[in-house]
Amino acid sequence: MTGRFNGLATFVFAALILLFSGGPVLLSLYGSLVPDRVLLTEGQSLFTEGPNFETYRYVFTGQLPDSYNMESANRAMISDAARQVPQALVNSSVNALASMVLNLILGAPAAFIFARYAFPGKKVSFLYLILSPLVPAVALVTPIYILMQAMNLVGTPIGIILVHTARALPFTVLILSVFFRKIPAEIFEAALLDHCNRFQTFWRVAVPLALPSIGATGLFAFMLSYSEFMFAMLLSGSSSTRPVSVVMAALARNTDVSWSLLNTAIFIAIVPTLILVVLVWRFVVEGLLSGAVKG
Amino acid sequence: MWTINRYPGFWLLPALLPVILMTVYPIGHALWTSLHEVMILFPGEPFVGLRNYERVMSGSYFGVALRNSLVFTLIAAPSVVIIGTLMALFLQRRFLGSQVVRSVVLLPWVLPGAISAVLWVWVFHPSFGFLNGLMLDLGLISSPIGWLTNPRTALGAVIVAHVWTQIPFAVVLMMAALSAINGEVLEAAVIDARSPFQRFRYIVWPEIKSMVVVLLVYNALTAFTSYDIVYAMTGGGPGTATTLLSFQIWRESFSMYDFGAGSAVAFIVVLISALLIVAITKALPSDLFAGSE
Amino acid sequence: MHVRKLLAATALAGSLAVQPALAQDITLEFVVWNYSLETVQDNVAQFEAENPGIKVNVTDYAWPDYNDSLILRIRGNTPTDVVYGGQDWLPAWGAAGFIAPLDAIAPEGAIEELSQDIAGFALSDVTYNDEVYGLPYYSDTISFIYNKQILEDNGIAVPTTWEEVTAAAEQLKAGGMDKPIIYEYDQELPNFYDAFVAQAYGRGAEMFDDNREPLFADPGNGAFQQLEWLADAWSKDLVQPDPHESTIIPAMNTGNHAFTIVYTYVLAALNDAATQPLAGQFAIAPMPGETHETLGFAKSYVVTASAAADPARAEAAWKFVEFMAGKPYTVAKRWAVEKGLGFGQLPLFEDPDVIDAWGKWADVAALGEQAAIARAGDYTEYSSIWAAYFRPLLAQAMVGETPVADVMEDGARRWSELKEQFANR
Repeated sequence: MTGRFNGLATFVFAALILLFSGGPVLLSLYGSLVPDRVLLTEGQSLFTEGPNFETYRYVFTGQLPDSYNMESANRAMISDAARQVPQALVNSSVNALASMVLNLILGAPAAFIFARYAFPGKKVSFLYLILSPLVPAVALVTPIYILMQAMNLVGTPIGIILVHTARALPFTVLILSVFFRKIPAEIFEAALLDHCNRFQTFWRVAVPLALPSIGATGLFAFMLSYSEFMFAMLLSGSSSTRPVSVVMAALARNTDVSWSLLNTAIFIAIVPTLILVVLVWRFVVEGLLSGAVKG
Repeated sequence: MWTINRYPGFWLLPALLPVILMTVYPIGHALWTSLHEVMILFPGEPFVGLRNYERVMSGSYFGVALRNSLVFTLIAAPSVVIIGTLMALFLQRRFLGSQVVRSVVLLPWVLPGAISAVLWVWVFHPSFGFLNGLMLDLGLISSPIGWLTNPRTALGAVIVAHVWTQIPFAVVLMMAALSAINGEVLEAAVIDARSPFQRFRYIVWPEIKSMVVVLLVYNALTAFTSYDIVYAMTGGGPGTATTLLSFQIWRESFSMYDFGAGSAVAFIVVLISALLIVAITKALPSDLFAGSE
Repeated sequence: MHVRKLLAATALAGSLAVQPALAQDITLEFVVWNYSLETVQDNVAQFEAENPGIKVNVTDYAWPDYNDSLILRIRGNTPTDVVYGGQDWLPAWGAAGFIAPLDAIAPEGAIEELSQDIAGFALSDVTYNDEVYGLPYYSDTISFIYNKQILEDNGIAVPTTWEEVTAAAEQLKAGGMDKPIIYEYDQELPNFYDAFVAQAYGRGAEMFDDNREPLFADPGNGAFQQLEWLADAWSKDLVQPDPHESTIIPAMNTGNHAFTIVYTYVLAALNDAATQPLAGQFAIAPMPGETHETLGFAKSYVVTASAAADPARAEAAWKFVEFMAGKPYTVAKRWAVEKGLGFGQLPLFEDPDVIDAWGKWADVAALGEQAAIARAGDYTEYSSIWAAYFRPLLAQAMVGETPVADVMEDGARRWSELKEQFANR
């Protein structure tokens, strides 16, 4: 494959991907480093004025940007909601990690059984799982809210984690079962000859072989929870347990949030992905590319 | 495939129970609501049969919202899968900086819809948008283009933003699927000196087909039922250019206080989604669903 | 043993507080939309310090989802005592029995006395079926805002009629400004309909007669004419739609637009010297039209029916509402001074601190004049349902998808239908 792909084509493709996927994110980094008055004034830019970290300082320490010390400035005209971002980041990460772990623990065994075994009731169970996400979440908001209220879970992270886990599970099972089915049958037959029972086959053979794919699926559950807004808003109570998607939605609409403050918050909210990219994604990609699953 | 004679509850129930908890009562409740007159300003919730369905389908918005939603889905879902697959094929290669590119591809994933919308508004905004600024500077245009404010371009612009948010998941899944292809087969194919297209068609495609189906189904569902990015970017306009059917569920229920009508729209959406899924699985037969026999 | 420990603990707690704690603390559930939560919580903390035995738990939702979230809370029986109310929702909430008239919980005469200080349109907004359901959290008008510098540079006088707005915009467009008018437009936000009503009021129009029969389908009606004006300005490429004020602020600050019509508090953000490059260039003009009237509205503190039904909670809820919106209007003044929010309590217009703070971003005299001739909207049980139906229609007429006359007739028909439906409720 490599031979036909010359360096120039590689460069062009890579540049296009970087531009499309990374462009808007880079824009938000840029916006966070220049105050609105620089951004909106023709002829001024990051390169003429230099980077300005005052909005970051405000988010983490509460110290106002220097421009607020002008005589004519209104010192209260800045949204304190931006200061909730760091805490919200932690809250969201906890929710998303919990949802990810639950999805893998609950979903992987089911996916394995669906992929490798025939059993009574299989079709019904499988169809129920994959058809349940068909009903749009908006239509289920009222009954799910009533249910959560009845279980006294409104205003708690547990309620949010439960809803996010349940919404991701059908896809987790579906995707993992595709991966488990890709593992060559001979490997399992060998395990059988080694007198592995069903659980040992799953735990010692299937899981290690599918690990990168499991990582990719876990990433899906994490991201679904991290970016979900509607249930996160309805089920989160005080600002100390609030997830980042809810805080960001408020920031995007309030008039006392300058464009640079909004972009500072957006860029900070991306940080957990950056960390995940370094930790999980490299493990996943390298695993995938080294061909752990190849027969 | 081995056979078990009893239902493997120990393996399945941990996954099924949370899903059942979050679907049986809620879906039942929604279905019941769609068959009753549930308007919170009126006492009583009498049974009205299919009247809510008739009402919403004869409503003035229904036709245009359905058309927009279908166009949105039919363009967005295949775009995500095609672009995602192409990116995954490309990212399998190692080159200088390939790890950076692989990481950057993931970035859009984490952002909630309303926030992705903020970034894309900035790209497309006629007054302070990045794209217009760039094109003006390069002399490509003489006055700003109203990407989001012109009825002819607005739907296209919101589709771009939606596709952007869905690409990372597609790339990750496709890379995982591609990596499962037997390396020796691939190498043999290279030696056979088939063209890259033939190699894709006969070696790669059969291996990734079931994942393509999963992705298409997932993206068709997502595109047909999501509206957060669109409404944050255009408010459903200009005029009715980006009014979506899925949003009407919310609108009927919470803006018009008519939960019966809202639920009726929801089940119309379910029906159309089911048709889309059947169409996808018929057009691309794979062992995905056959395997569940 | 347990009892003795408990008694000791209570005694300790009692000795710490200035006033002995009540037998049982009450926690009020206070629901707000997310605007300056830190200020809200600070106000709450001050209230708690002054009222031992009452705790207040604040829950906030995003503004676009606020009404929906509140309805869910009530449908889900989530404990809820005091909430922010909006003028367009208040009659429906009253009709549905979610909220209670304040007279039911306040000492006799207290509401009547406070009402005398409240601006006419604001009082109208918190009243349903002749009973007062809320006290103002803030109250504001919709303003025609223009860029002074741009008009001066181009030798254009401040327009006083909509025809002059068109002429000014055409002149600016001829001079190279692509879209002189930036116009807030989102099918789903009340802002879009409110701004339209304000413009119609500028022409002196009435949307409805005294029997709540729609008047706007008549081509001679100001609202009809205003929609024609909007469609005309759109067809001449003078108007740039923008879904929300949060992006109108930076857009106006690029200097690419000269006019907009938004909630007046946006002016404080437009003229915010700490962040905006063109701060100081923006001013309000009287709403164009023959009478220059505009729409005034009030957001309010409202008590739920469930809180009013429990005497102890009702008492605490009243104390809280009185602290937030009652004399000496400390909290309302704080919102005005710090955040530039308008107020319904008229005595604050003479407060030197308010005048001083507002002088930084607005012409206080002009604001006062505008508030004096502002009119309330026509709100009834079904008006928010109707507005949700009507907004997309307005949008269609604005961009020329549907003729103005059809839209107005459709809107009037729907109104009459809802009116009849509710009369037979």
